[in-house]
Amino acid sequence: MKKFSCIIIALIFLALTGQTVFAAARAWELDNNHSNFYFRVGHIFSKINGQFNDFSGEVLFDPNNLAESRFFFQIKTESINTNIAKRDRHLQSVDFFDADKYPLITFESIKITDAGNNVFHVFGKFTIKGESYDLMLPLTLAGIKDHPAVKGKEVIGFNGELTIDRLAYKVGSGKFYEIGIVGKDVEILVTLEALSDK
Amino acid sequence: MPHVMDPQERAESVELKIYRSLVIGFLLLVMGGALSIPFVYESQTLWYQLGIKKIMLRGGQMAGLLAATLLFVQILLAARGKLLKKLFGVAALMRWHRTNGIIVSLLAVIHVMLVLAPEGVANLPISKKYWPEMVGIALLWIILSMAISSRFREKLGLDYKKWRIIHKMLGYLVVLLIAVHVLFVSDSFEHAIPRAALFTSFLGVLLSVVLNKIASGSSKL
Repeated sequence: MKKFSCIIIALIFLALTGQTVFAAARAWELDNNHSNFYFRVGHIFSKINGQFNDFSGEVLFDPNNLAESRFFFQIKTESINTNIAKRDRHLQSVDFFDADKYPLITFESIKITDAGNNVFHVFGKFTIKGESYDLMLPLTLAGIKDHPAVKGKEVIGFNGELTIDRLAYKVGSGKFYEIGIVGKDVEILVTLEALSDK
Repeated sequence: MPHVMDPQERAESVELKIYRSLVIGFLLLVMGGALSIPFVYESQTLWYQLGIKKIMLRGGQMAGLLAATLLFVQILLAARGKLLKKLFGVAALMRWHRTNGIIVSLLAVIHVMLVLAPEGVANLPISKKYWPEMVGIALLWIILSMAISSRFREKLGLDYKKWRIIHKMLGYLVVLLIAVHVLFVSDSFEHAIPRAALFTSFLGVLLSVVLNKIASGSSKL
């Protein structure tokens, strides 16, 4: 009987620990209307703001299960919006994103680490203009709470900022940078809200 | 026996020549003014094109503005106002209307090719936010269909009366669309002088057509 009890306890323990170690992290559904991929780039002296209007993503996140947490974002290049249609078309052209040839920009996480103070370093593959690069996206967990407007749902929020050299990613040949019109450093702001059943 | 003009006839002939020269001179002035816009009121799009692409874009803008000017002229030629009839005669006006239609079509094609080429023909401005460009694309098709249906009307077996009504309606539509296209597609027209010139040309053509209609209506009475 004692032997049987030990086996039962061992099985329960295994099941519980197994769930902790191997279960996928909590799935969150990206709220596209309240998530954005903004960018800011210099133009001679001023700064031009823009964003990508069409994107999708997958968020699996549990601060206590980073090993199984995952971020995947897919941005449609043609959805670039800087509030001036002609500029957007120029950004879509071969001079910058070459949207016809490279319609998507993606980021797929490989590893997430806790950097403390609710900051998580999301290491992943950033694919732009057909080439993949290693990139670390620092995301600050803004919080997890009951959604104030949707019953039975919780909302999670992340904000992340980073600056990249667009020329290192071949977004532009550098001619507009050399003549002093368009800057090469692009500030990126990733701001996300995602919902999940409680 | 050669016709010998009396002094009054000669004076009228000289007067006619002066008026003709004035009309042609005014037309050349308007065309020159239109062609100067991409230089004097350079659009910001030109800032971001270098070398041959800049030349192509500016050339495309010039072709477009010349096409727009000649489109306005086309309506005046079609309306055949009393003054133009007196100065040039109906046959000449009709001949110029046909030739001008072909020139406008060619300029429209050149305009589209040169304007689209610098940013790639694969990168066509097709979406809601590019509506002024899309008005331009619609204009191109209308202008080409008008030119082709006019040139090959008999071969296409089109009934003259029906063709004429459609041709006339499309002609007025084209003038309206060209004004909208030019006004919203180019930031050169955010400046007061090009904008005023466009409005004046549009209203001038409209007014001359309306006045001509009224005059021809009253003469029939």
